[in-house]
Amino acid sequence: MISIKDLNFHYKGSQDAGLHDFSIEINSGEAVLLCGASGCGKTTILRLINGLIPHYYKGELSGSVTVNGKDIQNCELYDLASVVGTVFQNPRSQFFSVDTDGEITFGNENLGIEPKEIIRRKDEVVSELELEPLLGKSLFELSGGEKQKIACASVSALMPEIMLLDEPSSNLDWKAIDELKKVIEYWKGKGKTIVISEHRLWYVKDIVDRVIFMKNGRIEHEWNREQFGKLTSQELSELGLRPTSVEEKYIEEFGKGIFSEDKSSDNNSIQRYENGISLKDMYFTYDIPKYFFRKKKLNAADSAQYTLAIPELDLPRGKVIGLIGKNGAGKTTFLRCICGLEKDCTLKITSDGETVSGKKIVKKCYMVMQDVNHQLFTDSVRAEVMLSMDEENREKADKLISDLGLYGYEDTHPMALSGGQKQRVAIASALAADSEILLFDEPTSGLDRAHMTAVAEMLSALAKDNRVIIVSTHDPELISLCCDYTLCIEKGRLKYLRKCQ
Amino acid sequence: MRKLELDPRTKLFMIFAISLIVMVNAYTPLQMVIRIIVTAIPILLMTLEGKYAAAIRFAVLYAAAFILQNYYLSAGSSGLLSALITGYCGIVAQFMPAMITAWYAIRTTKINDFMSAMQKMHVPDGVSISLAVVMRFFPTIKEEYESINDAMRMRGISMGGGKVTKMIEYRLIPVMFSCVNIGDELSAAAVTRGLGAPIKRTSANEIKLRAIDYTTMVVFAVSTVLFMAAKNIG
Amino acid sequence: MKENKLKAKDFITIGIFTALVFVVEFAYMMLGFIHPYVILSYAAAIPVLCAIPMMLFYTKIEKFGMLTIMSVLIAIIMFVTGMGWIGAPLIIAVGVIADLIAKKGGYKSFKSTVISHGVFSIWVGANYIPLVVTADDYRKDMVDAGFSDDYCNILFKAVNGKTIALILLCCFIFGVIGAFVGKAVVRKHFEKAGIA
Repeated sequence: MISIKDLNFHYKGSQDAGLHDFSIEINSGEAVLLCGASGCGKTTILRLINGLIPHYYKGELSGSVTVNGKDIQNCELYDLASVVGTVFQNPRSQFFSVDTDGEITFGNENLGIEPKEIIRRKDEVVSELELEPLLGKSLFELSGGEKQKIACASVSALMPEIMLLDEPSSNLDWKAIDELKKVIEYWKGKGKTIVISEHRLWYVKDIVDRVIFMKNGRIEHEWNREQFGKLTSQELSELGLRPTSVEEKYIEEFGKGIFSEDKSSDNNSIQRYENGISLKDMYFTYDIPKYFFRKKKLNAADSAQYTLAIPELDLPRGKVIGLIGKNGAGKTTFLRCICGLEKDCTLKITSDGETVSGKKIVKKCYMVMQDVNHQLFTDSVRAEVMLSMDEENREKADKLISDLGLYGYEDTHPMALSGGQKQRVAIASALAADSEILLFDEPTSGLDRAHMTAVAEMLSALAKDNRVIIVSTHDPELISLCCDYTLCIEKGRLKYLRKCQ
Repeated sequence: MRKLELDPRTKLFMIFAISLIVMVNAYTPLQMVIRIIVTAIPILLMTLEGKYAAAIRFAVLYAAAFILQNYYLSAGSSGLLSALITGYCGIVAQFMPAMITAWYAIRTTKINDFMSAMQKMHVPDGVSISLAVVMRFFPTIKEEYESINDAMRMRGISMGGGKVTKMIEYRLIPVMFSCVNIGDELSAAAVTRGLGAPIKRTSANEIKLRAIDYTTMVVFAVSTVLFMAAKNIG
Repeated sequence: MKENKLKAKDFITIGIFTALVFVVEFAYMMLGFIHPYVILSYAAAIPVLCAIPMMLFYTKIEKFGMLTIMSVLIAIIMFVTGMGWIGAPLIIAVGVIADLIAKKGGYKSFKSTVISHGVFSIWVGANYIPLVVTADDYRKDMVDAGFSDDYCNILFKAVNGKTIALILLCCFIFGVIGAFVGKAVVRKHFEKAGIA
């Protein structure tokens, strides 16, 4: 089905991230997993198969790629559209339409398929992937998982023989990953050829027939499913791969906490921590009850209807707290309220005997956002850090920058850095602002093992300075690596805050 | 079950007619009546499409502005505040019909339908594809801007340290970075699904001019002609 | 690039930047609701502000047609958002001319980019055309609306059939100035970050 022979490629204007003498044969109906550290060439292979290389991304190419008997280099991309379908990493950026229906039919319309046939295909995909509840909606209202499902449907509607998935789970929580897994299983059942590039191995390990481990643009190892399943976590970690089983442990250990409907919470017994930071009267709702002109002030009495209602909570200092909960449980709202981004939230924060509320909360907290690009404003790393200071202090800024391993990048534009480096620039500006509470929203989405471990170490180090670190995450590996406490939220209510085992 | 949906071409015609009408002041009672009719039709259509809240909002706003302008003003009011109020009412009453129609057209038209309408009007694919991207990017820009705005508030730089240039820079530059990045990924995703094929695009939802479309167009055409004629008749 | 035909990627680029330009323009237009004096500054401020996305757009242009399509899109958006269609032919005309000028410089020469952007900016002036065509009515409206006679005199002295040419010239000049501002911003951020 897919045959790559003696392939050499490197991107225009870049030295690394290429392929060297790469050859592979993939049979019809086979499911192959590509794994390896970021930059090992996984994505490049997918781009070769779907024709984005050489038709969209330019570079030096030698060797041959044949897909379904067609030589990719002499094909046009639109000829490949009905042969190869690709689901990309970022749910936000891969949809073209504004509404779900239009997105599913988009590919077929481009290829000039008869309207009746388009409708037939759409109906088939919708019923097979159980998408009825999502039809007729705006894509902008959907969650990341739902968007990714629509992306799968849109590709599926073209009825290609080959399905490529490029780190499709990066931005998903594990419930959504489960749905994604079902979609892949469905494709497999239909006899499609599937190639998945992925860091998270647990959900694909039972679907794939073959696993290919890559390093620096070459194949290093190859296993079949049984062999791969037998690898110990020790062996995996030596290869720099994420574990294949921790997620199940997580489902057992945390899953009970998050997903059981058991009503008992530790809410009543607030634990006090020595020198902790206490949050009080955290009430917030998105639909604020209104009088004619002014908004009704939020209070404890009405809290039953609020999106978020946590009367009291004490947070330990010097520890990393993992914030967990279902999608839509209010994790993001919780973080936004602590940051002071929701003006109507009645939160009061007490630390060192001093209580702040309202606008002053902003000064105490700093959030490193999931998409860190949104919080970088200036044209150099140094300027970015100094922007956070009340009084610009160049030496202090440079020290922070080198402390975070960005020495030598002081004058670089933050947008020219890698994702992990950008994250560290954001952290440096948080430290420059002397924030006591640091919040992280999904800091490890889409990271390979090495980068995830680096983030975990950094979080632990940051906590040592007597700060409160809260990490919202779906990533159980991150929790097991660095979290001292887990804070679980359900339906906007505190479920528990307890020490990790 | 199909709701009462007008063909996008009809909506374009409505906008065309109404932008003629709002450019001329209404003097005679006939003109006033025509104005009210052409304003009422899109509001009515909105309710038929289930946009009740918007319909009521527009209706109330327009009625308030209209009444204030026509009665409050003629009562011989004076004073700066009332002058200002009636002033804004005047502008609202004048241009509101166009705004309402535009809002109606934009909110109730699916991009796919719009694209096939453009195709039927023999607009080149390049223009309609670009236009679809514009439509898709308005909400994206809004989302990105909101996140960026949050980040600015968190760092206390919303005011750009008092400098107007910084205020603009901190807002515009990150939005542009985000849009360019999203655009690159979007292009890749779109071309793998056949965008740009030199084939005549089809549309799952075939649009057709129906009786209701012709009726609406005739009503608007007649209104426009009468409106213009009424001015000349006096 | 060997082929001169526009590809899907180019259409997406056009769409993105048209959206950006329109949002910038619209944000500034909204200020006009705060105070009508702001309307007078449209011809100067909008070309300069829009130059920032436009100059980034220019770095992505390689083929003829991108500026033309953008002007068509602007004309359509102006029409659909109820801002009239009288200016549409002018918008498209300046789009084509700007495209030709930039093409002469091979879409790389800074000098032709500057002039091209100046010409392209004339579209902003198209906003004033309905004002001129309906000047009498509009003026009466504004007097009714409680704006002082003086102000209206100033505004309509500034905006009438004779001075529309001046307004368009003003757009051109500020478009040229904007090109330099925009280029500076592109250098400061986008070239430094390696995406332009």
